[in-house]
Amino acid sequence: MSKQINVALIGNPNTGKTSVFNALTGLNQKVGNYPGITVEKKEGVCRLPRGIKAHIIDLPGTYSLNASSLDENVVIELLLNKNDKDFPDIAVVVTDVENLKRNLLLFTQIKDLEIPTLLVINMADRMRYKGISLDIDYLEAHLKTKIALISTRKNEGIDGLRELITNYKEVSTEPCLKTTDIDPAYFENLQKAFPNQLLYKLWLVITQDVNFGKTDRKEIDAVTSFKTKSKADLKRLQQKETIKRYQFINNVLKKGQTIDLSQAKDLRIKLDRILTHKVWGYVIFIAILLLIFQAIYDWSEVPMDFIDGVFASLSEWTKNVLPSGAFTDLIAEGIIPGLGGIVIFIPQIAFLFLFIAVLEESGYMSRVVFLMDKIMRRFGLSGKSVVPLISGTACAIPAVMATRNIESWKERLITILVTPFTTCSARLPVYLIIISLVIPKGKFLWLSYQALTLMLLYFLGFATAVLSAYILSKRLKIKSRSFFVVEMPNYKLPMIKNVAITVVEKTKSFVYGAGKIILAISIILWFLASYGPGDNFNNAEVIIKTEYASENLSEKDLQHKIASHKLEHSFIGIAGRLIEPSIRPLGYDWKIGIAIISSFAAREVFVGTLATIYSVGSDDEDTIKNRMAAEINPVRGGPLFTFASGISLLLFYAFAMQCMSTLAIVKKETNSWKWPVLQLAIMSSFAYLVALVAFQFLK
Amino acid sequence: MNDIIQNILVFTAIALAMLFLIKKFILPKSKTKKACGNDNDCACH
Amino acid sequence: MQHTLAHLKKGERGVITDVSSDHIPLKLLEMGCLPGNEVELVQVAPFADPMYLNINGSHLAIRKETAIHILIEKVANE
Repeated sequence: MSKQINVALIGNPNTGKTSVFNALTGLNQKVGNYPGITVEKKEGVCRLPRGIKAHIIDLPGTYSLNASSLDENVVIELLLNKNDKDFPDIAVVVTDVENLKRNLLLFTQIKDLEIPTLLVINMADRMRYKGISLDIDYLEAHLKTKIALISTRKNEGIDGLRELITNYKEVSTEPCLKTTDIDPAYFENLQKAFPNQLLYKLWLVITQDVNFGKTDRKEIDAVTSFKTKSKADLKRLQQKETIKRYQFINNVLKKGQTIDLSQAKDLRIKLDRILTHKVWGYVIFIAILLLIFQAIYDWSEVPMDFIDGVFASLSEWTKNVLPSGAFTDLIAEGIIPGLGGIVIFIPQIAFLFLFIAVLEESGYMSRVVFLMDKIMRRFGLSGKSVVPLISGTACAIPAVMATRNIESWKERLITILVTPFTTCSARLPVYLIIISLVIPKGKFLWLSYQALTLMLLYFLGFATAVLSAYILSKRLKIKSRSFFVVEMPNYKLPMIKNVAITVVEKTKSFVYGAGKIILAISIILWFLASYGPGDNFNNAEVIIKTEYASENLSEKDLQHKIASHKLEHSFIGIAGRLIEPSIRPLGYDWKIGIAIISSFAAREVFVGTLATIYSVGSDDEDTIKNRMAAEINPVRGGPLFTFASGISLLLFYAFAMQCMSTLAIVKKETNSWKWPVLQLAIMSSFAYLVALVAFQFLK
Repeated sequence: MNDIIQNILVFTAIALAMLFLIKKFILPKSKTKKACGNDNDCACH
Repeated sequence: MQHTLAHLKKGERGVITDVSSDHIPLKLLEMGCLPGNEVELVQVAPFADPMYLNINGSHLAIRKETAIHILIEKVANE
């Protein structure tokens, strides 16, 4: 019989907590959300010795149990709620050997909740470089815990950790500090009022109540009657608590840890001297961005052409093999091209996630925050807005969530509002296909025109985001105190395993999430394009044959004429021509119009939609791009995708708010419909205007 | 016979697709807990 | 004259003597910004803001507007 225990991984940010999680669970993990909130919940299963199974939760990184954000609040909610199904049988606190002192603060707090707590000291491989040595026995005795000294990078000590978790019953629950020592008068009174409660837990409930305005905990009701201290007084007590804890930690480390500074080699100082330099820091940052865009463009060309070809022949093959009929058509003309429209962008999206993961893992991202803060503040943003703006190039949804660590509400709100302007990976498919159609090949220095255009579009996205932030900061009348604290972690060589897991997980969830919607939409689009009302559709063959009876058309041309006549009078054709007058000034035909409308579900649907519309009724094995290039402008003749209409379309996609999921997340994060509705209205009308002006000027 | 089966399959696929989209975008999600605080002061401490 | 953290120049060090807790986020205290701890200004961004500090072994960056609320005593570099 197997037994399952709950293990909670807790730790400061940048301690390699996620590496420990990956080392314990491998790929045996799933990422979801905590119910009702958008905080990422990572769970996994780990097999322990003696047939025990551990259910491991990787809790969000936090510096202490005094939560100041939604993510951090998840940690304390779980640790205070014994009835939660995930309540840990054992808490594993992950620390970094180089920041042991600071990391232990959180450890002592969790100990004082009298939860069995293990201490993991990670990055043991760095000890020698830093001249650090530890007296593990001494530390174990005085911190009243078991210690696992590990190195996830060298994959050392993991088995020992597994063993310690298995013996979770032997771990002491004795607290580190006496809560009453913080302020005897106050805490003795409190204990008298609630003799049956754990004092430290009471204290957390009281302070969290003040910090967070939480009211859904029953215990608080009872406690509020006792809450005589003012906010400022409580904060002073929290400060006292922090000082007491550091005194305790300092005393323990004085004997348990020795640091021989003469042995320490500091890579940090050398790297920081260049990477945060007043001039070189910025030059390097821009160079890194350039490299990323060139890479996304160049490296993914080959796999993308390959995928495009595979789907085209798959479609053809399906038609030949399956018995002919409506369902076969649906598969060959609806589902396969629709899916192809998403699969083709996996290479680029994976590259993008790869770069972002590397920047975050290496510790470079914090340096960018440091460098950009003053500049961003001029525009009403925070240095921390850089992270959402950069990760917005992958997807606006995690980017909006990444704003949570911005301390000032005004800066945070502005960041949320402008983040959707950054070029997310869903825009990429649209950009790529249009760029390849309308921008000539050729090179400027070592950059191709096409890559350059893509970069300009990214730049345009950032510039619009920053400028609209400036306008918003002048218009929004919100008073909020702004604090700015950012940890500058050590530089680390990113661990391949961590980066790979991030890339795979993120790409997978992007493809599955968007893929389902795209699949559903392409089925419906295919139906709307393959069926139609009235004579004009149902008798298309007769109509065309009589119309062209005098001309000697080949069978192939005749079939083509019939197909396009049918499409024009299908449901989708009718709807498309209905909206055509409003988009013709932008240089689009009704097919693009349909693609734009379906894009409001998610932008990446655009290419899939066009692929579906253009595939209906066409027999040839051909790629999406070639079909689009062959489209003829119905009014003026000549190719439909010209420089003017292409640029207009690019600009429309650059500015329009076409993503229901982002709107939903903005609603959640701002707790109001006001902001997402404003975003949708302003961004989309701005997009229309810019596209209109661009086309009228360029045509 | 083949035609009938194919048509049935097509309409089933379309019905499923519609159902999925409606569920995804139109029906509100259940389980919404207030994110933070009662006084709309998310993260402005 | 009382010195604050904002008076430090790049490479200079000091010992924190007092923090006015009303103006300092708790998070900063938790990261080690407490009286008695040593602080070094590692690097400043252009316009001397934000400031990249090493407080008691913790590396972090704060804005000047926060730094002026942290009182210090300068320590001469040996």
